[in-house]
Amino acid sequence: MIRGIWTRETAALLLLAAALPVAVMWVVHGGPEVLGRLVFVLVMAGIWHLVFMLARAQPPSFSGAHAALLIAMLAPQGLGPVQLVLGISFGVVVAELAFGGWGRNVLNPATVTLAFLGFGYPAAPWPELQVTLGWAAIPAALIGVGFGVVPWRVFAGAFAVALVAWATGAALPREVLTAALVILALIVAEPVTSAATHLGRWLNGALYAALVLAFGAFWLDAAPVQLAISAALLTSLAAPLLDEIAIACWFARRARRLGRKRLG
Amino acid sequence: MQPKLWPILAAPLIRQNPVMLQILGICSALAVTTTVATALTMSVALTAVLVMGAAIISAIRRHIPSTIRIMLQIIIVASLVIVIDQILQAWFFELSQSLSVYVSLIATNCLVLGRTESFALRNPPLPSAVDALGNGLGYSLVLVTMGGVRELFGAGELLGHTVLPTVDQGGWFEPLSLMMLAPSAFFLLGLMIWGLRSLIPEQVEQPEFQTPEVAEAQR
Repeated sequence: MIRGIWTRETAALLLLAAALPVAVMWVVHGGPEVLGRLVFVLVMAGIWHLVFMLARAQPPSFSGAHAALLIAMLAPQGLGPVQLVLGISFGVVVAELAFGGWGRNVLNPATVTLAFLGFGYPAAPWPELQVTLGWAAIPAALIGVGFGVVPWRVFAGAFAVALVAWATGAALPREVLTAALVILALIVAEPVTSAATHLGRWLNGALYAALVLAFGAFWLDAAPVQLAISAALLTSLAAPLLDEIAIACWFARRARRLGRKRLG
Repeated sequence: MQPKLWPILAAPLIRQNPVMLQILGICSALAVTTTVATALTMSVALTAVLVMGAAIISAIRRHIPSTIRIMLQIIIVASLVIVIDQILQAWFFELSQSLSVYVSLIATNCLVLGRTESFALRNPPLPSAVDALGNGLGYSLVLVTMGGVRELFGAGELLGHTVLPTVDQGGWFEPLSLMMLAPSAFFLLGLMIWGLRSLIPEQVEQPEFQTPEVAEAQR
């Protein structure tokens, strides 16, 4: 029975459910205008999923709605529809659908869209997240971890670094912390684009936290969301390398225990 | 037997395009395509060097000892590059400034060495020159297309003339500053290769591994 339920779409729907606390808080604060934005992004992402279903027989996925929610929530403000369409098309097509759909992508389409819009239109202001969104990220993470769709080791790695930073007296402004928490819970810990090995996941979370701390300390004119998205982009680019490190460590440990120079 | 010249010239334009099929000459394709003018200058410079280099190397191909052939080719190509660079600095000073080191780097361009090594060393001067011209034109085609797209969407201009009036000038077009950065050239090149390989599917490389027929979850 368990096997019958657990398809890709189950995982996508549970991820969507995990994002709901943050989404609800966001809509409560933003009101009807953010709903309009959300519907617009959903329709655009949906159109691309439909195009790839018809052209390449790739089944559309609810993960598209997850990405659309993140884009609507975190994209720079004041962009016209043409610019949004360009960014969403780039992120959804080049980062996800061109690789064969959700589950085969290297980078999260939301990360790529946001980075694209950020680099493409540097004058557009980044959104300022309410502090309650940061609190809402905690139940979001708990739902994801509880259902087993989100790796807890990523959070553990991030909190380990955060703890060390707190102990040494490094402090981040509350806005940065909010953005970093929301993006950690919804983007960095997303199962497809984070690392896949146990050690890799610890390193993944730790790297994200370290990057956020470094950017927060040295990148002074960056907006909180911009800073956290850049950290998330670099982290997911490094995820395959972290997995590779974890596998190399495993090989080294096996070789030491079995007393052989080389394995495999 | 004298090979036919037309296929030698036409093949590298689209079907055997050096940039899009063999992925050669990427360094300059990323760096100098922010405007059409620099892309065009670079294309002309590279094509000139390539044609002359191929003709010269092909003319002395029977006298080149094969152990030192790479050195000889680089010396010949580098001498030509210096001449072209001096000409550019003499008559097109501002353009040569905006091209910075990339004209000099033609000497190490894989495209040039690839053509002289694989074609000019084994063929008579005329076909070699024609092959070099075809490859130069294929390179130019990609560069000018990319330069056009990047200048149009990055600054709303083409060859310095305003096409899409930008917001700064009181128009409506919001320039995409990403187009002025090198990664956009990677994206554009990727999209162009994707488009080309959709049209000519035999260019698609074999997958490195097969995914399982049955999805893991249903096993």
